[in-house]
Amino acid sequence: MKAIFTSFILLLYAGHVIGQSTIAGRVVDEKGEGLPGVNVFLVDTYDGTSTDLQGHFSFKTSEEGSYQLKATFVGYETMSQDVTLPGDNEISFLLKEAINRLDAVVISAGSFSAGEESNREVLKPLDIVTTAGATADIAGALNTLPGTQTVGETGRLFVRGGDGYETRTYIDGMEVLESYSPSAPNTPSRGRFSPFMFKGTSFSTGGYSAEYGQALSSALILNTKDMAAQNRTDLSLMSVGADVSHSQVFGKSSISGKIQYTNLEPYFALISQRINYDKAPEAWDGNMAYRHQIGETGMLKTYANWSSSRLAVYQPQPFTNQEDRLEIDNNYHYLNVSYRDVINTKWSFNTGAAYTSSKEDIQFNDVDIEDQLSGAHVKGVVNFDPDASLSIRTGLEHYYRQHNYNLSEENEFKENYNQHISTGFIEADYYLSNDLVIRSGVRAETNNLNRQTNVYPRLSVAQQLGEHGQVSLGYGKFSQQAQQEYLRVNTNLDEEKATHYIANYQYMKGKRTFRVEGYYKSYNDLVKDGTQGPNNDGQGYATGFDVFWRDNQSVSGLDYWVSYSYIDSERDYRDYPQQATPAFSSTHNLSVVGKYFVQDIKTQIGATYSFASARPYNNINEEAFNAGRTPAYHDLSVNFSYLYRSNVIIHASVTNVLGVDNIFGYEYASEPNEEGIYQSQPIKQMAPRFIFLGVFITIAKNKAVNQMPNL
Amino acid sequence: MNKSILLPLLTMAVMLWSFTTPSKYEEAMKKQINNVYQANTLDEFQVVINALDRIAQNEDDKWEPLYYAGFGYIMMGTRTEDAAQKDKLLDQALEKVTAGLKLQPQEDELIVLEGFIHMIRVTVDPATRGQQYSGLSMQALNKALAMDANNPRAMYMLGQMELGTARFFGSDTTAPCEKLKKAVVLFENQKPEGELSPVWGQESAVRAAQACN
Repeated sequence: MKAIFTSFILLLYAGHVIGQSTIAGRVVDEKGEGLPGVNVFLVDTYDGTSTDLQGHFSFKTSEEGSYQLKATFVGYETMSQDVTLPGDNEISFLLKEAINRLDAVVISAGSFSAGEESNREVLKPLDIVTTAGATADIAGALNTLPGTQTVGETGRLFVRGGDGYETRTYIDGMEVLESYSPSAPNTPSRGRFSPFMFKGTSFSTGGYSAEYGQALSSALILNTKDMAAQNRTDLSLMSVGADVSHSQVFGKSSISGKIQYTNLEPYFALISQRINYDKAPEAWDGNMAYRHQIGETGMLKTYANWSSSRLAVYQPQPFTNQEDRLEIDNNYHYLNVSYRDVINTKWSFNTGAAYTSSKEDIQFNDVDIEDQLSGAHVKGVVNFDPDASLSIRTGLEHYYRQHNYNLSEENEFKENYNQHISTGFIEADYYLSNDLVIRSGVRAETNNLNRQTNVYPRLSVAQQLGEHGQVSLGYGKFSQQAQQEYLRVNTNLDEEKATHYIANYQYMKGKRTFRVEGYYKSYNDLVKDGTQGPNNDGQGYATGFDVFWRDNQSVSGLDYWVSYSYIDSERDYRDYPQQATPAFSSTHNLSVVGKYFVQDIKTQIGATYSFASARPYNNINEEAFNAGRTPAYHDLSVNFSYLYRSNVIIHASVTNVLGVDNIFGYEYASEPNEEGIYQSQPIKQMAPRFIFLGVFITIAKNKAVNQMPNL
Repeated sequence: MNKSILLPLLTMAVMLWSFTTPSKYEEAMKKQINNVYQANTLDEFQVVINALDRIAQNEDDKWEPLYYAGFGYIMMGTRTEDAAQKDKLLDQALEKVTAGLKLQPQEDELIVLEGFIHMIRVTVDPATRGQQYSGLSMQALNKALAMDANNPRAMYMLGQMELGTARFFGSDTTAPCEKLKKAVVLFENQKPEGELSPVWGQESAVRAAQACN
């Protein structure tokens, strides 16, 4: 009896004695160093433990049978080994770092990207919009980045010795034509798209991805915001006009719309301009964005923009008493539909279609000109990600462009063309580790007008150096078809071509960034005016380096950056008689941008100083072409954003506070004077300063929402 | 003693023993919940999170191990200075919360954690993230309160967020302070649904309500 009782009791406590195994060992990384905090456990049991500071672990288990012992650690690939129990086991694990795209090195050669998500972006969309002097114009803000040249009378982006047309804008992967609104000659134009729409901006100063083409110098890649977060209504009252916008969120979709009216007449009445407007610029703009989530992972985006503008200006002929009257009426439509979705963990795709139609009716004295450009772009891209280390994308695109140019004076004169360009591309990102990535791709384009097929390779590499630095190299061939004023005369013109070589070093620690980049671009097949019409005999080069320093850390509340570019560039194109430095290229460009938030007065103060060294101009009286040099350009702009209430902001900005009388070039008389000299007069700013005032009101359920991030 | 009574008595004893003693799951969870409330250093939190992960991989219908692991990652996030590291920890926390919501989409405590994660995200880069993430945070906390108007943690954090916003804009702090005072009352009266339900936050809420004026 006692024996049964004892053995029964013993059986009850049996688990403590029989079948206890010890599993111990060490977890190390590829360098042989112990990893602390690794979770080592028997799958399908509670038994396990965490490694200590040296990577050692030890735990007991009473399980019996065949089990899997797993070691898991965030950022590393999981490893497992089989163990048979009972029995003491001594196990070692070597864990390899898992490639994590979000952490891995990013190719930075030739590119500045601004995204909201990652901490490693050099710029945030906020930065682009709060830059003084830019007056919330994308090109204006990007002009403070290295690699750009200040060409103040145009307001457009000129990148690394390239002309203004060499930058192409893409929204959600789809092409945008005529992305600048019309303006009178020598007056700056503005981008049509407000920076507020975009969640991410990638501005390339060269060497951009094989997914994009038709741009000799740079691609401005803009990604619109996804679903609106909440219902809101925004009202803006400005010295140049007003706008109202509204966003409405439904279950799986959101719709946003904006209507804007701009009229510069009251402003010009107050502040006189150098040129005489018969009709000050007036415009109506409307846009609409519709987002719809399809299933768990799909997103359909539709964006439409419509704009109608008018202006009429008197242009005095220099050194005469006569003046010409120029009127520009522009009607612009843009529609962009894109759809992306994930098929499974390895495959995803995005596809889209875009349509631009821009029609300008120009009256120059008695001459009527109708200049119409429309284009369609369809694109389909497939992404294949077999594992974290490899990402392949390939796609097909088709561009259709139609240009009509009608000039009626006494007789009608018409030129037009229809063009089809088909392209295909394939590009792969291969991560050898989290510290080294290679991107290689190729793009092929075929053009029905000149019946040529061209192939453009692209290659770039980025290597992480230590925790904070990286080196990046880029190479590629790029092309762009001839500008419409030449293409309509000779539809056989070849694409203009450029080859880029870029090397860059970047160091990012905390909230400080240092970046230096050097490049060489060679241009071929540039369009030149020939005796028998335009041809492709032009060529050129651009070389230089950019330096960028940003500090958001040293002084609390102060964010500033300094960017300097040096460029040596010459080209022979258009009407140049010989190779020379183009008029838009100045050797030194410097921008210093600062923003400071003063908590006590709830105001953000911004200031930007821009400097550009002498620009070339052609003095007709001299033999040498483009040998003249303008004085240097200086501009100090400031802006203030005052948080009057949590949902009301009062904003003021002034460009050229110091009133520097900048000269962009010179215009010459069409006839020589009595001494046989062609007289000249300088091309200056329209007014010493541009002053802008605005009140921005947001009506939303969340009282903290306002337009501050947009200013 | 009568031999025939011994065996049934012992059997009953064993059966009673297994009914009144907590299950292996509850035992393990109670221990780890205690550990996560006591932990202080990043290493200590990692050890607790690992133990919770081990429990979670065994109990694929329970949200509590995922909840406390998420909570642990958030605590690690608040104790980390490095911005990139903080984001990574918050990403891990969000993974746990999302997995928990897949099991129990209507669990208001998980949605409170979601609001908490968004709140800490703002601290990484207030200027850029302030508007977006404080909006998301308040949205989640309000959703949690809609599910359970007496959730003290939701009330406390919502009060904190609104107080922060009011202080930044220099506007009236009466409404947020009311919320914080109400949160203190809700903490005093909180009746956790079970032994594993979250109970944290009372001390911080009391301190916050006292400092609020």
